[in-house]
Amino acid sequence: MKRTDALVNVEEVSRRFALDHSAVTALDCLTLAIDRGEFLTISGPSGSGKSTLLNLIGCIDKPTNGRILIEGVDTSRLSASQTSALRREKIGFVFQTFNLIPVFTAAENVEYPLLVQGISNAERRRRVAEALENVGLSARANHRPDLLSGGERQRVAIARAIVHRPALILADEPTANLDTRNATQLIELMRDLNRTLGLTFVFSTHDQRLLEHTPRIVRLTDGRIESDTSTEIASHAQVFAASVS
Amino acid sequence: MLKFLLLAFRNVFRNRRRTVMTLLMVGGGVAGLLLVGGFFAFMFRGLRESTIRNGLGHIQIFNAEHFRRDEVHVLDAGISDWQRVAANVRSAEHVRGVAPRIEFYGMLSNGVKSSVFMGSAVDPEAERAMSFSPRLASGRDLAESASGEIEALVGTGVARSMSVKVGDGLTILAVTADGALNGIDVQVVGIVNTGFKDLDDRYLRITLPSAQRLLQSDRVTNLVVGLDKTENTDAVAAAFTPRLRGLSQEMTMKKWIDLAAYYKQVRTLFSGIFLFLGIIVFFMVLMASVNTLLMAMMERTREIGTMLAMGTPRPWIVALFMLEATITGILGAVVGLVGGNLIGVALNASGLHLPPPPGLSVEMAFRVLHVPALMIVASVMVVVSLALASILPAVRASRLQIAEALAHV
Repeated sequence: MKRTDALVNVEEVSRRFALDHSAVTALDCLTLAIDRGEFLTISGPSGSGKSTLLNLIGCIDKPTNGRILIEGVDTSRLSASQTSALRREKIGFVFQTFNLIPVFTAAENVEYPLLVQGISNAERRRRVAEALENVGLSARANHRPDLLSGGERQRVAIARAIVHRPALILADEPTANLDTRNATQLIELMRDLNRTLGLTFVFSTHDQRLLEHTPRIVRLTDGRIESDTSTEIASHAQVFAASVS
Repeated sequence: MLKFLLLAFRNVFRNRRRTVMTLLMVGGGVAGLLLVGGFFAFMFRGLRESTIRNGLGHIQIFNAEHFRRDEVHVLDAGISDWQRVAANVRSAEHVRGVAPRIEFYGMLSNGVKSSVFMGSAVDPEAERAMSFSPRLASGRDLAESASGEIEALVGTGVARSMSVKVGDGLTILAVTADGALNGIDVQVVGIVNTGFKDLDDRYLRITLPSAQRLLQSDRVTNLVVGLDKTENTDAVAAAFTPRLRGLSQEMTMKKWIDLAAYYKQVRTLFSGIFLFLGIIVFFMVLMASVNTLLMAMMERTREIGTMLAMGTPRPWIVALFMLEATITGILGAVVGLVGGNLIGVALNASGLHLPPPPGLSVEMAFRVLHVPALMIVASVMVVVSLALASILPAVRASRLQIAEALAHV
């Protein structure tokens, strides 16, 4: 189902991986639309295709079939450098293992996406300070990642993902390496950023703590959408409207 | 891109132990080249100066005919008006002195045994004025104006084969300028060690008037010019050109490098050896660095994947790795320059001597010269080597599949 106003349109996308003597279908003719400002969780068991779907939406992998549109742009038609520019400007990434540059301080890590975009020094400093303040880490700006806790590192990663004001933030299992307290704080932080800054978050998880805070959950099983709470709500609403009328 | 440079610089020191090992390897290569090259430079300089001071001089002036045809009789292509030529060049800047010479040959006899000699007739005072004193193993140098006995210096080999010592007499036989045979008796006043065994076996030196009497000629073979510094040779030679025009004979001159065949052979040989060493060091650094940089790339696979995911252009990744390698090369060169020069100073202070090399009969001092050009070449060489070594890892890093790199453990 294609929606022209959606931020992301995933249209009948399949992804197969060739092994030595066989092929594995990670995603099977999947269609999904993500609106601006959504706080969307992709859940499902291991091997259901969550990370593969995020990789495809994040343009760090290419679908075997189908296409993905971001802000109406067909990503399969982009050259390598155009894809790189799209990621640089439109997408922020948060990884399960934080993936901070260990030789950079927290502030320098947050600054990196702006550096790659060629933004001026003064503007970089301003935005980095703002992003670190948004995640509550202004006081830890000059610490290197090895001097930060797991929760702090992931907050730095979130600051890095939002600093260039991307249209979409993709987070692959962001709480998997965090304890309950840090995971809860991180979820609340992301939800808060989603509400206050209107940022679109899409993340994969099978963490129940995260699912409880999520308005929309897309469940994947064997590379297919098993359920999507937004369509369920929509159908319930239709049933309710029909019964009222 | 200060931040990018900072990232590269910090990455260099990310794995300190490995970086230290790399710097030691690169620095060792540079230091090795400096020490070997510095010793060769010392050897070249020593050989050059000893060649010049052994009598070659900095510039020699000849009758132009000397190089156009073989002499039928001794000195028939010599310089006739040599006092005037000497006066013309003596007044030039940087000239320490001008010494007339006669090169001749003949037979030596002690009454029992005869031997061939290569003779050199000199003005002892003019020679001494330019520090062209023979290296005496025993006895003394020639006196300027000998009265009575004709004095002679002979090589150590001649003294041994003819069984003569200081104070003994010898008879010299030579063909005169007219083609007749002539002979004089000489008294050995000194025995000379030239440093070259082959020369010591044939060496004879007498005063210029004695040789002119023996050869029945007032000509000289050449004029040997000594300068204050060898480095001034070219400038002085240029200044001589107008001074040698308009004379009764056409004159020509040769610089020391044109006459020092042995020096040139030695220099060519050792330059070849040094080039070979340089190539070995270059490839050693290259191969070892490729391995180290590939390891670094593998360790940072996920980080590179993250950088690429954030939209870092792939050429930046190539540039980052090459920059890191270049920084390592520069630091390694600095380590090598400091280490090499310190070791050089220590070796120079140790007073080390090497046994006489083939063809020489004296021990050779071991000294290392600090040659700026060599330092620049060795440093540039290792930096280029490191930069080249980084190309493969850099290109590999830039071509990583992002999804696979992010999943790398």
